[in-house]
Amino acid sequence: METNSRLQTHMALSLSRSRDPKVRGSGYASEVVTKAPAWHGLVAWDMLLNGMTTGLFLVAAISELTVPDVFTSVANIAYPIALVLLLLDLLFLVFDLGDALRFHHMLRVFKPSAPMSLGTWCLTIYSLPLTVAAAISLVPVQWTTLETIRKIAVLIALLPALGSAVYKGVLLSTNSQPGWKNARWLGGYLTNSAFMLGCAEMLVLSLLMKNASAVAMLRPALGLLLGLNLVVLCLLVSDLRATLSRLYTRLEFFGVGTISAGAGLLVPVGLLLVTGSSLFILSAVTLILLGSLFIRFVIVALPHAST
Amino acid sequence: MASKEIEVAALGQKSDPPRGRLSAILGRLIDPFRRGTPPEPRPPTGFFTDTTVCIGCKACEVACKQWNQLAADGFHWSGNSYDNTEALSATSWRHVKFIEQFPPDNSPSRLVSDNFQSFGTEFSLEALLNEPKEGRWLMMSDVCKHCVTAPCQQACPTGAIIHTEFENVFIQPDICNGCSSCISACPFGVITRSSIDGHSHKCTLCYDRQRDGLVPACAKACPTESIQFGPVDQLRERARKRVEELHRRGVTAAHLYGDTASESYSRLNSFYLLVDRPSVYGLPDNPFNPWLHMKGDYARALIGGFTAIVALLAVLFVLGG
Repeated sequence: METNSRLQTHMALSLSRSRDPKVRGSGYASEVVTKAPAWHGLVAWDMLLNGMTTGLFLVAAISELTVPDVFTSVANIAYPIALVLLLLDLLFLVFDLGDALRFHHMLRVFKPSAPMSLGTWCLTIYSLPLTVAAAISLVPVQWTTLETIRKIAVLIALLPALGSAVYKGVLLSTNSQPGWKNARWLGGYLTNSAFMLGCAEMLVLSLLMKNASAVAMLRPALGLLLGLNLVVLCLLVSDLRATLSRLYTRLEFFGVGTISAGAGLLVPVGLLLVTGSSLFILSAVTLILLGSLFIRFVIVALPHAST
Repeated sequence: MASKEIEVAALGQKSDPPRGRLSAILGRLIDPFRRGTPPEPRPPTGFFTDTTVCIGCKACEVACKQWNQLAADGFHWSGNSYDNTEALSATSWRHVKFIEQFPPDNSPSRLVSDNFQSFGTEFSLEALLNEPKEGRWLMMSDVCKHCVTAPCQQACPTGAIIHTEFENVFIQPDICNGCSSCISACPFGVITRSSIDGHSHKCTLCYDRQRDGLVPACAKACPTESIQFGPVDQLRERARKRVEELHRRGVTAAHLYGDTASESYSRLNSFYLLVDRPSVYGLPDNPFNPWLHMKGDYARALIGGFTAIVALLAVLFVLGG
């Protein structure tokens, strides 16, 4: 009994010793506590395709509903392309799961508190009217009833398409991973980027369809959206400056910034402003796509690079 | 070995009703949507881990693996004290951590070699108690924190992660599809996706044992009662008394981690008594529930979208009008 008491006192004393900082080990303090999810290249592509499909649909729908005489013909091509992009995106989402054969479990519950649940439901709902709109767009005959159904389908798809664009950034920013958890403007950036990508795609389609009126309107619109996207990108970088400064040297950060903002946004703006030639427009859109993909790869890599 | 176990488990049993291919496919599609009757709520249970009495024996790790039939992880010398488990994983739901706090010129290995010569002649309890102490060795058995408001549960899009009737966080293995949302949401780095089945796994707080009125395997195996299991209110009371006792004995650094909710995080149903900063034990000093940012993040995402819509409409109206 006495020994037990002395042992306890001894233990307490030994615990209270070592207050001298020289003898205090930091243990696990230098380690990153969180575990990075196995989200890699597929997720970067998914983020790009998500922006491309929702952006293309939204810009096509808004343009068609605002100036139907100019944009209906382009929108009729845009909807089937948006559907193909959506199917590709869904394929990437499914293959990114640990158990792809359980993809339908995503629809077991509707949980607005979970961005991935909200996103899955938005994508599912968005896919249905989009399929209708895309199918009717491909019908060669012009029937008034079908045209009305197509327009209704487009209107129905607007909100879930916006939801599909919005959720992706929030999915990444509302978690505990280094970098992502500080990215308050990630959702803002990706949503804004979706519209920019959609506008770029619509511009290329208009160009290929030789719709000069559409090109004349979409070229300045894309320039404006690129400017807006640069502002949101700056806000995002400001959120991430602590993480980025830890991950990159000044030179590397300069390189990442040059590719993301310079080649992906500023050069395309310059190309669009210089002239309306097809070559310049196509070059600008190619740079926008590559820049957007690069930024998404950088974003996806943040937690992995931190660990 | 582990793969073989999975294969054997997947083999049909004689007792299974005969199933055609169509029936199997339909079952796979429909079964996850079926709902059972939720059990009646029971008093919340949890763990109180008193790190001051942990001796690093790893009996908890072994008992957990044995009871839950978790595959071996192989063997790897980490170089970090006696910690060769390294991290919680899909196959290690308990992880004993070792923190050596000694002066650089007086490592544990040197102490052993210096004292070794005297063991034969002067070794006694008295000598042991009176020998100079120049450092300390902290040990802690880490596990899922079973958060009262669990970010993993909030993030799970399939509803696979639930709170059981004991208010413990549980991953339903037949529902999880390995989306990894829970992994990125957990601020403690607890959950891991298995490379064998592709699903997320973590401590179940021995849900099966609890339903049968048994103590979780790790707590049962712990020889020093460092891991204590029971109704969580009783555990909190016991833990506070233990802290008071340690303060009386001069261990003023003793404090509870996860006993109470902070502004940014809920209480933990698996909480700890620590004698150093939480980060030293590999725990976040100020855990933050990422969901607190969600409304603002959605608002900013919508702002990003609506500014683009306004810009697009402005151009279309000006040039198209």
